[in-house]
Amino acid sequence: MLVRAAGLQDLDTLLALAVSAGAGLTTLPASEERLVERLKRIEQSFAGEAPQADADYLFVLEDGQGRVVGTSGMLAAAGMREPWYSYRMGLTVAASRELDVYRQQPTLFLVNDLTGATALCSYFLDPEYRSGDNPRLLSKARFMFMAECPLDFSSRVIVEMRGRSDTAGRSPFWDSLGQHFFRMDFARADYLTGIGNKAFIAEMMPKFPLYACFLSDAARDAIGQVHPDSEAGRLVLEEEGMCYQGYVDIFDGGATLEAQRSQVRAIRDSRNLLLAIGTPGDEAVTHLIHNRLRDNCRMIAAPARVAAGTLVVSAASAERLKLRAGTPVRAVALQG
Amino acid sequence: MLMLRLGKRSDLPQIELLAAASPVGVTSLPANRERLADILAASQASMAEEVTLTGEERYFFVLEDTASGDLVGCSGIIAASGFRSPFYTFRNEMFVHASRELGLHNRIHVLSLCHDLTGHSLLAGFHLADSQSDPAAMQLTARGRLLFMASHPQRFAESTSVEVVGVSDTEGNAPFWDAVGRHFFAVSYAEAERIGSERGRSFLAELMPGYPIYVPMLSDEAQEVIGQVNPSVQNVFDILMEEGFETDNYVDIFDGGPVVHAKTALLNTVRNSTLAQVQIGTPQAGGGLWLMANTHVCDFRACALQLAWEPGQPLVLEQRLADQLCVADGDHVRLVRGN
Repeated sequence: MLVRAAGLQDLDTLLALAVSAGAGLTTLPASEERLVERLKRIEQSFAGEAPQADADYLFVLEDGQGRVVGTSGMLAAAGMREPWYSYRMGLTVAASRELDVYRQQPTLFLVNDLTGATALCSYFLDPEYRSGDNPRLLSKARFMFMAECPLDFSSRVIVEMRGRSDTAGRSPFWDSLGQHFFRMDFARADYLTGIGNKAFIAEMMPKFPLYACFLSDAARDAIGQVHPDSEAGRLVLEEEGMCYQGYVDIFDGGATLEAQRSQVRAIRDSRNLLLAIGTPGDEAVTHLIHNRLRDNCRMIAAPARVAAGTLVVSAASAERLKLRAGTPVRAVALQG
Repeated sequence: MLMLRLGKRSDLPQIELLAAASPVGVTSLPANRERLADILAASQASMAEEVTLTGEERYFFVLEDTASGDLVGCSGIIAASGFRSPFYTFRNEMFVHASRELGLHNRIHVLSLCHDLTGHSLLAGFHLADSQSDPAAMQLTARGRLLFMASHPQRFAESTSVEVVGVSDTEGNAPFWDAVGRHFFAVSYAEAERIGSERGRSFLAELMPGYPIYVPMLSDEAQEVIGQVNPSVQNVFDILMEEGFETDNYVDIFDGGPVVHAKTALLNTVRNSTLAQVQIGTPQAGGGLWLMANTHVCDFRACALQLAWEPGQPLVLEQRLADQLCVADGDHVRLVRGN
């Protein structure tokens, strides 16, 4: 398996993936026109030609036959062209000593607090490949890339996890909140944001903070939770130190995870080493290995052993990375 | 006959009985002897005062059956709301959320906690014993105090408001309270009203949501009762409507009942009442229903009578009635047509 930069040549495969992913993967729109536009921007970004405010990166996961089976991406700086909205879960305390009352009211504040943060997005993995090292490789490859060119990314990394919805695509959070203001179903609202139309959020959403007590029980329960299909993805990111700190998606209430970039484990602990070809041996640990290139970036997960400033991998792994012995690589254990 | 006058300390035991029978939402009439005594004391102090600017005065009127001496109703006026503690209401508002691009246009009803009615004179504490089914008694109790306002405008504010009791059931549960207030203050509606009545409603209001409430997010039961009148006070509400109060702008923060308001000078009773000079004699029989009041403060009296009187004429009254109204030949009496 290999992670590499996506480009226009992947258009057809990605369109097919977007269709199969359905609602919940808003940043990979199933519209050819939008996707072409995005892939062009992605190519510019990998080439280092896009300003940070526009930079958008997308990686694909290829299997041994060169078939694309997953994607992961990130916006270098969210909300620099159009506002980026979140709800911050705050607290309102109603208290009176004289009346012996003390009540905490969780309160939702519509904010643009996460503006400028690097936002992980577009994570999708073919269900048949959701085993072994694949989910970690695909998700964490992004951190390796960031570690290599930190100046292109924000010091804050976020990811909006998909929130709860039922099999019919109904989101309890949306039904209790957004629906009143948009008069459209969740899937359509989700689609509109996916194709980049975000201005309507500001125009239609409530401007004042909302008391969570006015939401339905199901909606309140969904706050800060993630969709069952995304639970595994959440755990992978939490391994890296990302965590829920009170920001949620304005549509489905899904948790936004965040971390300081420099504190993300893969970024903090990854090392620059020289590639050595040999036998990793029984002691070998699965490593995330990055060829340190930008537009020709290639990343794999493979058994490796660190020895005297070198990273010993098998010949097959080196071949997968298209690297010769003695070339610098960035590596970190796949799991902390 | 029924005579409206200002309450006195000695009325306390009877007023207590009236208060105990009043609906739970009438917090200005607490079923609590000490609080009632305070209200009466405040009322008597207010009368004695030379008022040039409205302040914390309040006036408490009682309806007395002069034959038996029984008190059968009461009503009051607070000269200026929010004088001591802030006066809270929810303002009914409409926010328009529109997106040109998407062709969406959505009107959202919101309730915003406000102090807009601060300083208004407040009609309060209306209650009539169940035995009083005569519409004239209700008019006298509700409108008689407006004759007092008409005669002493310097004692009242330019605007007048009334908190009308909203919907609650016999167990003391109010759907609006359950959907709104209860989240912020974990007691039943009846208990909240009791606390509000005894300790002042601003105590509770301070715990209420400071941000606007988006009405579509409330339960259907709560939405349905916003601005709705408790059936038990529908009659007096109808009388207020005929006075020209505006109903749509504010609602009560506890039960969602309407808080109505109007310019004092434009209230039907204030605007259409006229003064007539008293002439002791034998009045003509027949005629329409009139509410009449003397122009005194401490000795204020008002009653409802069938009279053959036309504006511009002197008002012929029997001596006995003139005595009851505390007027003498040549004094002025303020009259307004009964409905």
